Amino acid sequence: MRYLTAHLYRRLMTRGRIIGLTALASVPALVFVLIGFDEQPDQIRNLYVETVTSAGYTFAIAALVVAGATLREERDGGTLPYIYMRPVSRSSIAVSSLVAGMGGALTIGLLGWIATVLGGLLIGAGPSVTLPGLGLFASTATGYGAIFVPLGYLFSRSLLIGLGYIIVLETILAFAITGLAQLSIWRIGLSIYGSYEEFGVGARESLGPIAAGAGGGLAKLGIVLVLGWGVLTWALRRRDAL
Amino acid sequence: MSHTVAVSNMSKWFGNKVAVSEVTVGFSPGVTGLLGPNGAGKTTLMRVVAGLQVPSQGSISVLGEDPRANPDIYSKLVLVPEDEAIYERMTGRAFITLAAQLSGVDDVARRVQQILETVELVDAADRNLGGFSKGMRQRAKVAAALVSEPEVLLLDEPLNGADPVQRASLIALFRRLGAEGRTVIVSSHVLIEVERMTDQVVAMVDGRLAAVGDIADIRAAMSDKPRQVFVESMDPRGLGAALLGVDGVVGVRVDEGRLTLETSDAVSLAKRLPHIAVEGGFEVSRVEPVDESLESVFRYLVEGE
Repeated sequence: MRYLTAHLYRRLMTRGRIIGLTALASVPALVFVLIGFDEQPDQIRNLYVETVTSAGYTFAIAALVVAGATLREERDGGTLPYIYMRPVSRSSIAVSSLVAGMGGALTIGLLGWIATVLGGLLIGAGPSVTLPGLGLFASTATGYGAIFVPLGYLFSRSLLIGLGYIIVLETILAFAITGLAQLSIWRIGLSIYGSYEEFGVGARESLGPIAAGAGGGLAKLGIVLVLGWGVLTWALRRRDAL
Repeated sequence: MSHTVAVSNMSKWFGNKVAVSEVTVGFSPGVTGLLGPNGAGKTTLMRVVAGLQVPSQGSISVLGEDPRANPDIYSKLVLVPEDEAIYERMTGRAFITLAAQLSGVDDVARRVQQILETVELVDAADRNLGGFSKGMRQRAKVAAALVSEPEVLLLDEPLNGADPVQRASLIALFRRLGAEGRTVIVSSHVLIEVERMTDQVVAMVDGRLAAVGDIADIRAAMSDKPRQVFVESMDPRGLGAALLGVDGVVGVRVDEGRLTLETSDAVSLAKRLPHIAVEGGFEVSRVEPVDESLESVFRYLVEGE
């Protein structure tokens, strides 16, 4: 399983993809630097939280691109048989794919977060301000990976569907319909982040009707993970691999 | 001999298009040629047997297992796909190593080196596959397939792009694998190369099974197609006239001094021809069947000529 995971991860992490998606995931860092220059030191922590919780959506798109490509690229490129026709159980292929996709998203998230750390240093915000943000990127990378890897395998237009999920559900419908907010990976990540970081008004608005709390957030992430693995295993067993 | 690959009443359709229709066929150890014009359903049949596509109807058994239900079968079953899809940025060695690792091969490095030597890719092994010629890619795919020493090999147009020397080498390799008792199913549109590999063929036309078995037996079963026999003689017209009355001779043609007979009873013709030649004083220097080659048999099957 480790060979397959390593293969899928290496295939995802092309130089062009790393550069492009890191740039996208670094938008919060840029915003943070631009608006943080004139900010008072006592406000800088709040500003960081506001920035990553609002502008952080760009990471969701980066996670979609990288995680969605995990098996989609193999299918579109016609190379899936080289993986599929090996004595590896379908559930193991699903685990490897999810780990690789999440790993890819996490790598991009980590690079985006490092950009915020470096940006913070430029404007006098130390690691104590930016370090907690890592939890947000890590938790959402896991959640998005669990959704976008199966989506990429199942649909050739997975990018479009994923963008629909991020833009329509996460940023519009989840605000209007309380129940739908529970389906938002971004808010699940925010609820975990909010459990150990103090949220201001803007960040609380981003969180919406979801209560901050690590336990609930991690439980939801666990459910998303199991569902993602289940759907992908089913699809690998039941659907044409070409 | 029991079948290692059994296809039972299998159909596969994509929307309204039927790619394979109610095919029942078995494959035994040795090399079998899978023939058919473009769109006949050969590739779909191979993909379904490989478990890459789900049959719309019917069932598949490879070494007694349904490949879709038991991935462990892939330690014994491999497919070399026809398309050129390959990992462009991976070296040949890395590609074959990955195949070996995923197949759980022991002593991966030694086995990879061994298989690289078998397909004569040692010198190019550390170059990216993206820079390989079509023939080299084919050999890399064959190597990745063979690395786990499978019992059943599905080879979809494996000779595409290979130069004549490589083709001869691959044909010899496939024959050897068949002789070792492995089930080797080879699809190819180059019939003369299939003929060099095997006498056993499965022919498909329009998604249906057209013929199965030994090429000579298939030809013999075509009772509605008189056999054509070329006879070389100093007096083709005279000999042709003398043979007209022989039982089973249904046609005599002399073109540019070449005598071609059409007969529905080749055995009877073979018995009578020497007598008639002696009695009539005709010198016969050569007798040769014209349409018993795989190409002729295939043309009859496909075109109904």
